[in-house]
Amino acid sequence: MSLNLKALVVIVLAILLLATFTVVAYVEGAQKRVGAPPPAVASAEAQQCIDCHTNRTPGMVSQWRESLHAEKGVDCLSCHKVAKDDFDYFQCPGASIPIASHPTPKDCKECHEKAVVEFSRSKHAGLNAQKFATSPDRLVFEPTISTQHGCQQCHNIGHVWPDQSVGECDACHAKHTFSLQVARNPQTCGECHLGPDHSHIEQWVESKHGNVFMSNPDNYKKLGYRAKDYVGKPAPVPAPTCTTCHMDATVTLPATHDVGERLAWESQSPWSVRTTEAWGGGLSWQQKRDNMENTCSQCHAPNFYQRYLLSGDVASLQYNEIFREGRRWLGEMNKAGLIGTAGVKDSLGAFQAFGYDEAPEEQIYHFWHHQGRLYRQGALMMAADYTQWHGIWEVQRSLVEIIRSASEAGLPEAKAWMKSDNPSKYMLYPLLDVPGTAWGIDTIAFRKSPEYTTRILMNRDGNADYWEKVKGNVEAAYKNNLLSAKQWEMWQKMYANRDKELGNAYPLSPEIQKAMDGEKRDNAAATNQAVEFKVPNGSVWSAIWDALKPK
Amino acid sequence: MSIESTPQTKKGWRGWLGERFPIDVKVYEELAKEPIPKHMERWWFALGGTPLLLFAIQAITGILLTWYYVPRPDVAYESVQRITTQIPYGWWVRGIHQWGSQLMIITVVLHMLRTFTTGAYRRPRELNWMIGTGLLVITLSFAFTGYALVNDQLSYWATTVGTNMFAEIPIVGPIILQMIRGGMVVTADTMTRLYPLHIGALPTIIVTFIVLHVILIRFLGVTDLDKRERERLARAGKSAPANGKHEREASHFPFFPDHMMTELVIGMGVLIILVNLTILFPPTLGPHANPAETPSHIKPEWYFYPVFRWLKLFPLQLGLAGLGIGAACFVLWPFIDAFIEKRTGNRDVNVYLGFLVAVGAFVFILWELFALQ
Repeated sequence: MSLNLKALVVIVLAILLLATFTVVAYVEGAQKRVGAPPPAVASAEAQQCIDCHTNRTPGMVSQWRESLHAEKGVDCLSCHKVAKDDFDYFQCPGASIPIASHPTPKDCKECHEKAVVEFSRSKHAGLNAQKFATSPDRLVFEPTISTQHGCQQCHNIGHVWPDQSVGECDACHAKHTFSLQVARNPQTCGECHLGPDHSHIEQWVESKHGNVFMSNPDNYKKLGYRAKDYVGKPAPVPAPTCTTCHMDATVTLPATHDVGERLAWESQSPWSVRTTEAWGGGLSWQQKRDNMENTCSQCHAPNFYQRYLLSGDVASLQYNEIFREGRRWLGEMNKAGLIGTAGVKDSLGAFQAFGYDEAPEEQIYHFWHHQGRLYRQGALMMAADYTQWHGIWEVQRSLVEIIRSASEAGLPEAKAWMKSDNPSKYMLYPLLDVPGTAWGIDTIAFRKSPEYTTRILMNRDGNADYWEKVKGNVEAAYKNNLLSAKQWEMWQKMYANRDKELGNAYPLSPEIQKAMDGEKRDNAAATNQAVEFKVPNGSVWSAIWDALKPK
Repeated sequence: MSIESTPQTKKGWRGWLGERFPIDVKVYEELAKEPIPKHMERWWFALGGTPLLLFAIQAITGILLTWYYVPRPDVAYESVQRITTQIPYGWWVRGIHQWGSQLMIITVVLHMLRTFTTGAYRRPRELNWMIGTGLLVITLSFAFTGYALVNDQLSYWATTVGTNMFAEIPIVGPIILQMIRGGMVVTADTMTRLYPLHIGALPTIIVTFIVLHVILIRFLGVTDLDKRERERLARAGKSAPANGKHEREASHFPFFPDHMMTELVIGMGVLIILVNLTILFPPTLGPHANPAETPSHIKPEWYFYPVFRWLKLFPLQLGLAGLGIGAACFVLWPFIDAFIEKRTGNRDVNVYLGFLVAVGAFVFILWELFALQ
């Protein structure tokens, strides 16, 4: 190739390169800027607000710019429009147009009718109208200004507005982005559903669901999906958050803003109560349970979740028997004049009848309002530690504390109970149970052990008619409509097959024998290393005590 | 009389500059116009300038990327995401940098293949060959450390697997691994190690090597293949062809502008390919690195496939030992080649071996590519 030809080729290539650069510029122009402010669409009137508020409340404006509202042309006045006699009529000093200072669900409803209608009939909306308003703990025990910032701040999700609408949409759909990612973030629910009385966010964190979800930080970003893009399809979230089971759509179940549509239990109540048709869109508790099972079925086999839920249901029913016993002791003490009442009666007899001043009264409040809830909700939400240590252990401890108070006050039955050495005495109430688990047959957990069966009559192996009695109790619960026919059938099948379900029909694995031998060695080591080990010199106190001891 | 009081001997800017930078412009002109052998007119022989051009592009785009890239593992991925999706022309700069690195490896390998098969490394150019092998290793190190910085799943796990190999070095391996990773696994501290390597140490080393490489080329000149042919014919007792082929006068041409123009054509072509690659295949970003979730297929970038496949064929330590021996032979090849020639008189081993290695590497790449699907 001659030099001149090469020069020509260079020129041609240079032109080609420039042409390619224009393609680059074109592609750049067509780039969709993810995360950058979308082209905000606003009316000329709303532009007045934006121009001024960009300087006055820049956060508010930039949040809105990020929102889907901005992209779709839903501007300030779409939500903040106002009529002359509206309760929140406000003439902005910097603008020619009046605005509504506080948009309510009535405003949201103009576009989001289904969501607002569902929400308005939900328990969330009813939160302010319910017992909360007259709860003695709030009414008599704490000053109102304090509860206004406490309980009321969360219960405000059921705000009742002067315009007759109910609810506070931005409790979950934080303004002004109204981000779906924020709304579905478990932390949003966890703003209120946490703490000693309903540790729901903590229970989710403890559960396998929470763990799997949080193991991939990208999952949080997936929560921003739009429901309408996934109608009839699986949700694009690989592990469930709160909304996945309680609100979001499944392949066959529509999404709902009525959080009660999938709840078969009132488990925040002093008693475990099957939900009535008053809540959750008029559905029976069985229909609500079917809805919840629908969400379970997106990932699990029926045999697993139906057994799990049956087991959780029976645990909830067991709670009622324990609570009944707690109440009985307070009643006995009240009858004997050992504790008073605060003068407030309550048909459920949960706490109001007894007040807050005396130790047993305070105890029974914790019993149901804190510990009993954690026990039941933990059992239904895969939160083992909440069912166990924050739950049943504390419930039992409260019961013992109440009886101890009764004994100290001189109640004869309580004194006798305290004196008794029978290890079965802690089962103060009728028992309910399920012969088997959701997670498979365990050949060791309930293996008969002579050490226990000879001494303790309370457990499954302790007495011959344990399962007969339990069956009678479970059947009674079924007949009282507390378990479904499907559940009762499942229970009976497990009962008929209980020898296998409980693992008794199978030989012990040699591996387990090794572990049991290991435990014996550990016990021997503990005896040797600690229990029987003595250092040669005594304590300082022992010397003092020697001097003080009556000779 | 001091130099300050000497009158300026030449007028104009040449005089002004010549006084302050006292090297005659003619020296540059002579350097530029140095005659180079005729065979260099062939395209195949003009590949050496391309990696240099690409390195310059990598340096420029690299600096632009550092404006936005943050080497902290908690935000590294997000910063790459920001570059790719939000910063004006960010996708393009990142694309050029990504594709540039791949083209740089390709052109370095092609240049080396040419050097190898034509025997251009022979005495007295053995050292320059070794510098060249060093440049290949540095280029691959650039690629490896750069890939690790993206911090998406593939990048994270490729870094894990890549650094794992250090553990197999006898005795010091585990210590080296610990030093590179800053812990037992790839962590926050790995990134703060690889980043300064990528933008500080490696550029310094590569520039030094490039300078040495070019200086040696200018000192030793490029191999005169026609001269070599004349000598070969003379040894064989034959005379050169009558048409003047292989005569020195007929077989040389000036570096500037003739050869420069060839390089320019190739450079332009490479640029067009590079820009088009970024448009057709813009840079992507996988899911965020997650140490708790091992992807089903961990794989390095394609240019490491031959090594990757090789290591899969043998137990790891054996494979690494083989690689080590291979690398040593590769670096010391000019001496091995001279030894073979002395013993057997055969001067064509490099041609067969170069062909074999190239085909082998290609087959390994394809093998790995299809084995993954």
